[in-house]
Amino acid sequence: MARQDKTGILWLALGLPIALGLAWVTQGSGVIEDDPERNISIPDELNMPLQVQAAYNDERIFFRYRWPSERPHILHDVLVYENGDWVKKGSAVPGSNPDGLHEDRVAMMLDDGSVPDFARYGGYMTIGAGAAGFTDEAPEEVTKSMPGTRIDLGDWASRQAPETLQAQREAGYFLDLWHWRGHRSNPLNLSDDQWVGAERSGDAGRSPYTTNWDGDAGQPLWMLDPEVAGQAALRWEDIEAGRVDFDSPYFLAEDTAIDFDPNQDWQNGDVIPRRLVRQTEGSRGDITVLGEGRWNDGYWDVTLSRRLDTGNPLDDKILHDQGLYTAAFAVHRNATGGRWHLVSLPVSLGLGRDADLTAIPFQGRTPDWADDWKEVTLFYPGQVNWPLLVSRAHAGAPDIAEGTPVHARHSERQLAIYGVEMEFNDAIIRQWILTLIAGLIAMFGVVVALLPAFRNTSNNRKGEPS
Amino acid sequence: MSGLHHMLVHFPLGFWALATLMILIGALLPGRMAELSRAALLPVLVLSLLAALVAIASGLLVWPIEASTSSPLARNHILTALWSLGVFSMLTVLVWRAGSTAFDGARRWVLLLLALIGISIFATTGTIGGHLVGATTQFSELLKLFGWDVYHTFFVPTWVIAVMVLIGIVCAVLGLKGRRAAL
Repeated sequence: MARQDKTGILWLALGLPIALGLAWVTQGSGVIEDDPERNISIPDELNMPLQVQAAYNDERIFFRYRWPSERPHILHDVLVYENGDWVKKGSAVPGSNPDGLHEDRVAMMLDDGSVPDFARYGGYMTIGAGAAGFTDEAPEEVTKSMPGTRIDLGDWASRQAPETLQAQREAGYFLDLWHWRGHRSNPLNLSDDQWVGAERSGDAGRSPYTTNWDGDAGQPLWMLDPEVAGQAALRWEDIEAGRVDFDSPYFLAEDTAIDFDPNQDWQNGDVIPRRLVRQTEGSRGDITVLGEGRWNDGYWDVTLSRRLDTGNPLDDKILHDQGLYTAAFAVHRNATGGRWHLVSLPVSLGLGRDADLTAIPFQGRTPDWADDWKEVTLFYPGQVNWPLLVSRAHAGAPDIAEGTPVHARHSERQLAIYGVEMEFNDAIIRQWILTLIAGLIAMFGVVVALLPAFRNTSNNRKGEPS
Repeated sequence: MSGLHHMLVHFPLGFWALATLMILIGALLPGRMAELSRAALLPVLVLSLLAALVAIASGLLVWPIEASTSSPLARNHILTALWSLGVFSMLTVLVWRAGSTAFDGARRWVLLLLALIGISIFATTGTIGGHLVGATTQFSELLKLFGWDVYHTFFVPTWVIAVMVLIGIVCAVLGLKGRRAAL
């Protein structure tokens, strides 16, 4: 009878595979979920492809970008008439804007070798402590910046002295930022032109947009010119139904807008864009769209162009035939803003010479693009900043100190997963420790259960199985 | 410390692989080789535990603890290493307890089950270690095929943690009751 009991006890060994099997099928769940209160919204797709081509002639360089997008987002923020008030909609929120508002964008940071770390770590080096959109974002807006512009890496306020910052800029310690905006620049075939130094700044001159809001009067400054646009405003139900497209008067421009008329017979659901798109001036207007930036059949196709030498070396990276540069790309899609973009690792750019992306020299006014793309994998970067990467909490910090490039250690898929996990780091550590301990407790319990069945039943036997 | 850890981990991995092979032979085959395997198993298991303790200790010194606990791969490496140690500790205790009769009757199947669980976990530990030094293997693709990407931290929801602990407690209680009944 006792032998039967002990044999039965052996079945308790199955407790371990049951416990571990349950752990296997449920692993990874229960922690990672959107939490807008903490600025957390995880994209459905953590990676996406971006196709890039580059070409240049004696005067200009051209970059062609192509990326998938379920539908175009060509509206940014808007003003909606509701019971006598103009209500702003389309503000940046964690993740996708629920109204589908917020423009699509493609951006490219560019360096000429003056910032060696950029060729190794790309945009990671521009993310400081308390960056806007992070769970621990600072009260003031912390934009992209170069780490060397701060005395204390963890303190946004600890800027170097103005003369030091100016010297850094003159020495080339900044990144050129090409920034195409689906609403705030594209309607006039323009791109924003910015740079990253002590902060993200616009180049000198006039930006491609301004805000359509009279704060004192609590109303828009401009409205659509009915004689040009055929209507004074868009309709909210058309926006909701996705009926606003490139053929619609979806933007305000200097030649399509007139002064706002408060006496117009405004109806609930009338919509006026909250931005006015305008011609750029000065260094800010160096970059233009070749042809038209358009979405078609699930893809955006945008070509940007700029003079190789803009004559603005404190705002732009000047490019030369046979030069070797570094670029990193980012795309906003699905009505996202802020840090909810997908980014690339740094890519080398050679003008007429071998590189990850080789710009092809050509004669004439416009390049004759072949179907020869550089495929770049973009990834969701999550909440990973430069102070973290060079701290003791990053196992790769010594590698960074030695100058090992990020792509030598991490793939884009891996970085996306790490980026997400970093947003829940404390919760994951706690759950991981508990999981580890629970597994050990299950093992301990099972071995205690099995001990009676593993008593030595014979002092003289040699281990022959029965 | 990294290089030393790489060297030291070969010992528990070698001993655990050998112990698993000995259990397979001892449980499934007749003859002299099986006899030798059964007789020599306990020393191999004891040596494996000693080697594992040293290897794990050296591993915890490779990076600052805040770096190890912030890296999904390192977290997984630590978890699977300690679980490997746990499973082979179970085997050691049971084989020590049963002595020469460890493979008698249905016991052999318990040893075989635990050995197969153990080898799966320590193979995963080694694979993750490879990832940590930039040398990946197809084994991690196999794990992914079965539902786990090693770049994701292995953790479970709280209710599963409770169930796992409950399984351990229930097993222990039933075992202790069985022990009393057997006396």
